[in-house]
Amino acid sequence: MAFLEVKNIKKSFGKTEVIRDISFSLEKGEVLAIIGSSGSGKTTLLRCLNFLETANGGEIIVDGETIFDAERAKKYTDAEKRKARLRFGLIFQQFNLFPQYTALKNVMLAQELLKTGTKQEIEAKSRDLLDMVGLSDRLNNYPCQLSGGQQQRVAIARALALSPDILCFDEPTSALDPELTGEVLKAIKALKNSDRTMIIVTHEMNFAKHVADKIIYMADGIIEEMGTPEEIFENPKSEKTAAFLQSSKENDGV
Amino acid sequence: MFWTVTLSLLEGFVNTLKIFGMTLLVALPLGLVLSFGSMSRFAPIRFIVKIFVWIIRGTPLMLQLFVIYYVPGLVGIWAQSAQIDIPVINLLVEWLSTWTIMDRLAAAFIAFIINYSCYFSEIYRGGIESIPRGQYEAGQVLGMTKSQIFFKVVLLQVIKRIVPPMSNEIITLVKDTALVNTISVYEVIWNAQRFTKTDGLLWPLFYTGVFYLAFNGLLTLLFGYIEKKMNYFRS
Ligand SMILES: Nc1ncnc2c1ncn2[C@@H]1O[C@H](COP(=O)(O)OP(=O)(O)O)[C@@H](O)[C@H]1O
Ligand SMILES: [Mg+2]
Repeated sequence: MAFLEVKNIKKSFGKTEVIRDISFSLEKGEVLAIIGSSGSGKTTLLRCLNFLETANGGEIIVDGETIFDAERAKKYTDAEKRKARLRFGLIFQQFNLFPQYTALKNVMLAQELLKTGTKQEIEAKSRDLLDMVGLSDRLNNYPCQLSGGQQQRVAIARALALSPDILCFDEPTSALDPELTGEVLKAIKALKNSDRTMIIVTHEMNFAKHVADKIIYMADGIIEEMGTPEEIFENPKSEKTAAFLQSSKENDGV
Repeated sequence: MFWTVTLSLLEGFVNTLKIFGMTLLVALPLGLVLSFGSMSRFAPIRFIVKIFVWIIRGTPLMLQLFVIYYVPGLVGIWAQSAQIDIPVINLLVEWLSTWTIMDRLAAAFIAFIINYSCYFSEIYRGGIESIPRGQYEAGQVLGMTKSQIFFKVVLLQVIKRIVPPMSNEIITLVKDTALVNTISVYEVIWNAQRFTKTDGLLWPLFYTGVFYLAFNGLLTLLFGYIEKKMNYFRS
C-alpha cells in the first residue's frame, strides 16, 4: 500500500459536482504536480485533503491509517479532524500569514499552541525553518514589510513547523509578480531534495516538469490523465491534455 | 459665582462620568455576546438578537429611558390591583407587585447599557465579518481550535478594524449622557439649568460645553494613541 492513498473522492456544492471521482496514490518522498485549467476542481481537491471541505464520498489513507472516510464523515469530532489534518500542510495562493505577528512568530504560533516542545526548542526550530527558506535576516519583520515572495516563503516555513507528512501547495506563485516566482520555486525544489512528500497545484509547466515525479492533469473534476512528466509532456495520450499543454505553451510565449 | 457654578457643574459631570463608565464597562463585553448571537448558526437565536437590535437601534434612546424608568412602577401598580387565582402566576404577580418606580440613576444605567450594547454589537459584527476567511483557514490547517483562532489570530485584527468606528460611538456616548436630564438625573446640563431657573443666568448652560469638549478631547487623544499603537501591522 502506498504512503498516501486517495480513493474515489467526490465533492459537490449543492447540485454542482466539482470533484467527480478522483483516486491516486503517492509514495513517501514523491512529488505530485496537479495541472489543469481553472475551475477544474484542483483547489477543491486540496481543500478536501486538508479538511477545509468535507468530501461527499471517498477515503483518504495515510501510512496505512484511514484518516478520512466519507461514510463516517458526520461522526468526526473537531479534535479528530484537527489531529487528522496535521498529516497535511497547506500553502495558500494568498499566503494568509497572520499580519499582527512577525515572520518568526508566524512560524512559532501553532507549535506554541500545540505545545510541541519547550519555548527554546520551538524558537530554534522556527529559526532553522526560516533559515532554510532563506529568510534568516527577516525574522522580526511583519508580513506587511515583506515582499510577496518572502511572505510565501514564510508561509512554507509555517506549514513545515508542524512536520506534516504531506505538504500541499495551491498555486503558490500565482499571486506573485513574475520576478518573485523564482525564489519560491527554488524553496520548493529544496524541499524535494530533502525528500518531502508534496502535492503541488501549479500553472508553471516547466517547474512541474522538473520537480514532479508524477503529474495529474485534471479536467472537469476528474483525472483526465496521470503519468510521469515525460509521459504527460512528451507523449500525452488524451487529446484534452495535449490541447491544454498546447494552449499553456502559447500563453507562456506571450 | 464662577467657582460656585464650576463646582456645581463638576458635581453634575461626575454623574455624566458614572453613566459613561458604567455603560462602557458592561456594554463592551455584552455587545460582543450580542454580536455572537447575531452571527449564530442557530437561526432562532440569530432572529431574536436581530429583532432586539433592530428595536433598540430603531427607537430613540430618550424613549428607552422613559420606558425603563416608568414601566416597572406601572407594572407594580397593576400587579397590586390584579385579581388572579392561578397558583403559579399568583406568585409571579405577587412578586411583580413589589416593583416600584426605578431609581433614576439605575434606570439611566440600564437604558444606556442596553442601547450601547446593541450599537457596539453591530460594530463588532462588522469587524469580525471583515476578517478574510483565509485567516480562519490558515489557523485551521495549522490544527488550531476555534477559540485559539478567535483569540490568537482574529481578535487583534478585529480590534484594529473597530477602533475608528468604536471611538466615534464612544464620543457619541459622552454627548448622549445629556439625555438622562429627561428623567431628572442631575448631570452637568441639569445643574446648569438650575442656575438659569434660580439666578436667571444663561452662561452656565453654555459653559457645560467646555466639560464635554475637554473630555472628548482626552478621548480623541487616547484613541489616536491606540490607533497609532496598532499601526505596526496592516490587515
Ligand atoms: N464553496 C463553493 N461553493 C460553490 N461552488 C464552488 C465552491 N468552491 C468552488 N466552487 C466551484 O467549483 C469549481 C472548481 O473550483 P476550484 O476547485 O477552485 O477550481 P480550480 O482550483 O481548479 O480553479 C468552480 O466552478 C467553482 O466555482
Ligand atoms: Mg484554484
